[in-house]
Amino acid sequence: MSPSSRTADTAFRVADRIKSPEPWEVYAESSRRFEIHLGGRSVEMIRGPIALEGYGIRVLRPHNGSTGSGFQASTDLTDAGIRAALEDAETVARFSEFPAKKVELPGRAPSPGDRAEILDRRLWDDPLKAVEAHIAALLSGFEGRKEIVPSFGSVRATLSETTIANSSGLRTSYAHTLVDLEVAVKAFGGPEGAPPGEYWVNSSSRRFDTERLPTEVEAWCTYAKDVRRAVPPPSGDLPVLLPAGVLAGILPAVVGYRFTGAARLRKIAPNVGDAAAAESVTLQDDGLRAWAPSSSPVDAEGAVRGGRPLIAAGKVSGLLYDASHAAAFDVASTASATRGSDPNGFFDWRRFLHSPRVTSSTIAIAAGDGGSDAELIEAAGDGVWVQQLGWAVPDAISGAFGGEIRIGYRVRNGKLAEPVRGGTVGGVVLAPPGRPSLLQNVAEIGSTVTLAESVASPTLLVRPLVVAGAAGASAPTSKPKGAGRGSSGTSGTARRGRSRSTSR
Amino acid sequence: MPDLRDHEGAIATALGRLGKHAAFADVLAERAVGAGLRLDTKSTTPSVEARLGGAIFRLWDGVRWVEAATSSLDEPGLSSAVAALEKAAAKSTGHAPAPGVSSTTQKESVTKTNHPMRDVPFEEILSLAKAARGWATSVPGVADAQVGIGWEDNERLYLNTAGARCFQRLSRVRAGVSALAVENGRAEFDFDSRGGVGGREILGFVTEECATTVARGAKEMLAAAEAPVGEMAVVLDGSVTGLFAHESFGHGTEADQFVRDRSYLKPILGEKVAPEFLTIADDGSFPGGWGTIYFDDEGHPGRKTVLVDHGKFVAALHDRETAAAFHTTATGNTRRADFLSRAFVRMTNTYVEPGDWSLEELVKEAKNGVLLERGTSGIEDPLGGQMQLKVKRGHRIENGEVTGLVSSMALSGKVLDFMRATRGVGKSHGLTIEPGYCGKGSTDLLPVGTGGVPLLSTAVVGPA
Repeated sequence: MSPSSRTADTAFRVADRIKSPEPWEVYAESSRRFEIHLGGRSVEMIRGPIALEGYGIRVLRPHNGSTGSGFQASTDLTDAGIRAALEDAETVARFSEFPAKKVELPGRAPSPGDRAEILDRRLWDDPLKAVEAHIAALLSGFEGRKEIVPSFGSVRATLSETTIANSSGLRTSYAHTLVDLEVAVKAFGGPEGAPPGEYWVNSSSRRFDTERLPTEVEAWCTYAKDVRRAVPPPSGDLPVLLPAGVLAGILPAVVGYRFTGAARLRKIAPNVGDAAAAESVTLQDDGLRAWAPSSSPVDAEGAVRGGRPLIAAGKVSGLLYDASHAAAFDVASTASATRGSDPNGFFDWRRFLHSPRVTSSTIAIAAGDGGSDAELIEAAGDGVWVQQLGWAVPDAISGAFGGEIRIGYRVRNGKLAEPVRGGTVGGVVLAPPGRPSLLQNVAEIGSTVTLAESVASPTLLVRPLVVAGAAGASAPTSKPKGAGRGSSGTSGTARRGRSRSTSR
Repeated sequence: MPDLRDHEGAIATALGRLGKHAAFADVLAERAVGAGLRLDTKSTTPSVEARLGGAIFRLWDGVRWVEAATSSLDEPGLSSAVAALEKAAAKSTGHAPAPGVSSTTQKESVTKTNHPMRDVPFEEILSLAKAARGWATSVPGVADAQVGIGWEDNERLYLNTAGARCFQRLSRVRAGVSALAVENGRAEFDFDSRGGVGGREILGFVTEECATTVARGAKEMLAAAEAPVGEMAVVLDGSVTGLFAHESFGHGTEADQFVRDRSYLKPILGEKVAPEFLTIADDGSFPGGWGTIYFDDEGHPGRKTVLVDHGKFVAALHDRETAAAFHTTATGNTRRADFLSRAFVRMTNTYVEPGDWSLEELVKEAKNGVLLERGTSGIEDPLGGQMQLKVKRGHRIENGEVTGLVSSMALSGKVLDFMRATRGVGKSHGLTIEPGYCGKGSTDLLPVGTGGVPLLSTAVVGPA
C-alpha cells in the first residue's frame, strides 16, 4: 500500500536471502526524517533528510520444550551483512529460553488495505514544505501577542515504509507518517516581580493538524500566563479531574503491561472477570484509532489489528498477546506486538532496531454520561483540575504513579478557580479487587473523547486522589494503605533501569 | 577487529566536499557493538547490539546549521547526505562566520581495561546472572528476581574542516538486580544497579551480598507504609542527591537554555545560591563514570566544570555556539544521542561534592521528616525553576531517628528554595556515580551519571 512511486521492499529483499526452514521473521523500515528547530521565533536549525533503512531478523528455535528467540538488527543489506545478522540471531536464540513450545507467526492475511488512518499525504508528497508550512502556521499564532513568545520548539516529521515478511508466507507493507511537535510557550513582562511562566507542549500524531493550531496556541498562551499567578495546591484526598492529555502520561505504562500475557506469565495480570475499575469504565486497546501514533494496520509481527476489549463495565474482559505469549498460554494473538515504544512515552522512531514486545497501542476509554468538562467540574465541587503533570513515571509493576502539577486549577464550588502549580498528585492506577485505585475511584466520565498520544479518553473525575501541596500538614500520618491511593498490587520481577531524567 | 576508522577515508572525502561549499563543516560517524542479557525465573532474554552505523554531517550555511545523516558508511550513502547539504548551502545567502571556536583536537582514546567485555564469553555472563538470581531467590519470601547485564563498545569519529580528528571507543558496562517478595497477597520489589566505563570488573557489583541485600529489601518493602504528605524536612540518600544535582543545577545550566532566555539561572550567574558547604560539578572526565566521554561531539575533550562552588553559581555548560554568545569557552558538553540525533548541550556526570556531616547527624538535625532512598527519576523546569524527584522507597524520620519504611514518593519544589534550605551535606569515603539516562525534552536519551552524598533540606513530598 505504498502511496507513491517509491516502494520500499526492504524486508522482502532480506527475506529472499534467508534459506532457513525454521521459523523466522524480518521487520524492516525505510525512513526519512525532516526537522526544523526554533530558537525563539527564528529557525535555529534545519535537519534532513535523516535517512535510515534497516531491518531486524528474528528466529524462533524450539529447544528443551521451550523456544529460543534470537533477534538482530542491521542496516547492512549486502549478502554478507544479512548473513552476519542472521548468524547473530541464531547465536542469541541458542541462549534464549521462553516458555512456549511452538510459536506460530501470522501467515498470509487479507491485505489490511487502508484500515488505519496513519498517513498524512500532504506531508508525504513534500515533507520539507509541509514542515515549513506548519512552522509558519505555528509562528503566526504568536504574532501580535504581547509578552508571549515561543522560547524554543521543533517539528519533526518521519516518513516510513514498513515491510514485514516471515516463514509463514506473510508479506505485508504499509506507509505511515509521524509528527512530533515540541514548543515552550513563555509568558513574561507585566507587573514588576512576577516571574516568567511557561507551558511546555510535547505531542505526537500521525498528521499535521494545522487548522487546530490557532485554538491550541490560544490555550497554550493562557496556561503560560496562568503559571505566573499559580499557587500551590492544597493537601489531602481530593476530587481530581484528569483530561486525556494527563491520562496519556499515566495509563499506558500500567495498563499496557498489566493487561498483557507478559504480566500473566509473571502472575501479576488481573484475572478476567475481576473488578478492575468503576462500573462506568469500559476500556479497550484500539490498534486502529485514526491518527494515533501507535496505530497501524498490522502489529509488529504482521497480525491484523483491531479493537481489543480490556475492561467492560468495570470488569476485566481480556488481555493482550503477541505471538510468543499467545503460544505460552495456547490462545490467539491479539495483534498486540509493538516495537520501540517505551511505557513512559519515549518512542523510538527506529522501530526495526527492537524485537517485538507485547503492549497496548491506543488505550481507549468509552465516553460516559458525565457531560462536558464544565459539568464534570461542577460535579467535582471542591477539588483540583490537573492540566499538566511534570512526569507521572508510572511503575508498571506496582501501578504507582505520581508527579508534580505543572499547571492546574483549583475547583471551588463547582467552578474553576485560581491556577495551581507545584505539589504532587499520586496514587495507583490499578489495584487488586476491593482496593481503591485511580480506575476504581473514577466517579464521572465525560462525554467527549479526546485523542492524546496513546490515550483516547474523555476527562475523568477521580474521587479521590492524594494531592500533596505546600500548604498541607507536614506530619507523617499512619493512614491505612489504600486510602485515596490503594496499596501496591501484586508485583513482578521486572524493574526498569535506574534513574531517568529529562528537562523540559 | 574492524572499527569505524576503516571507513575514515570515505568519510573524510565526503567532508572535504562540504569544505568547498561552506566556511565550516563537520561530521560525526558512529558504530557500536555490544550484548546484553535479562534473566528471571520465567525467561532468559539475551540480546546483541544492532549492526548499526552511520554518519551525520553538519554545515554552517552562513545563517544557521543544517544537517543530514545516513545509515550507510559507504561512498554512495555518504554522498547522498553530502549532496543534500550542498543543495542547502547553494541556496543560502548568508555570510556570517560559524559561531564559536572550532576544535582542532587530534587524538584517539579508548577505554583501558584489563578485562574488556567483548572478550568475556556469553556463557560467563549467563552463569553470573543465574547465580545472582539464585542468591536473591534463596532469601525466604522472595518469589522471583530479575538480573540484567549489558555492555556496549561505542565508537565515534569526529572530523571537521578546521582539522580536528577525534576517535574514541567508550566501553560501557551495566548490571542490575531486582527482587520480588510476596506475602499475604501483597507483593513488592526492590532493586540496585551499577554502571560505568570500563570492563568486566564493573560486574564485580553482582555479588551474593548485593543480591541478598536487594532481596531482603524487597521483603522489607512488604511492610512499607504510605508516603507522608506535605512540606517537611527531607534527607536525600546519595542516589537522590545525584538526581537533585542533575535536575537543579544541571539542566538549568545547559547554556542553550540561556541563549533561548529560558533559564531562571541565567540572571543569577555569579550570585550566591546556596550555603557555603554546597558544591555541584559536572565532570565528563570522571574516571569510570557512566556519563564519561573522552571527547564531546564537537571535538572538545570531556572535562570537569564546577557549576556551584561553595554556594556560588559560577559557571554553565557550553557548546561552541553558546560559549561564543557568552564570551567563554566550550566545556566539552556537546552530545548527540546517536548519529541520527541533533547535538545539544548536555550533562555528563553531575554530582554534589561531599561535605562533613554523617548521615546520623543529618537525620538528627532533620528531627522530623523523611529519608528518601533509591532515586528513580527526575524532571526539571528550566524556566520556572521547579523540580520533581521520584524515589522507590524511604524511611520516616521521627525525633531525630530513622523509623518506619515508606513506599515510593515524589519530591517537589523550587530549586532555589531547596538549595537555600539545605542544612547539611554528608561526607563520603568515595563518590559513586550511578548510571541513568537523560532526555532533552522527550527525546534524545543518552547515558548520564549522577552522584552524591546524603543531603538535608526541606521540600513537599507526596505519594508516587
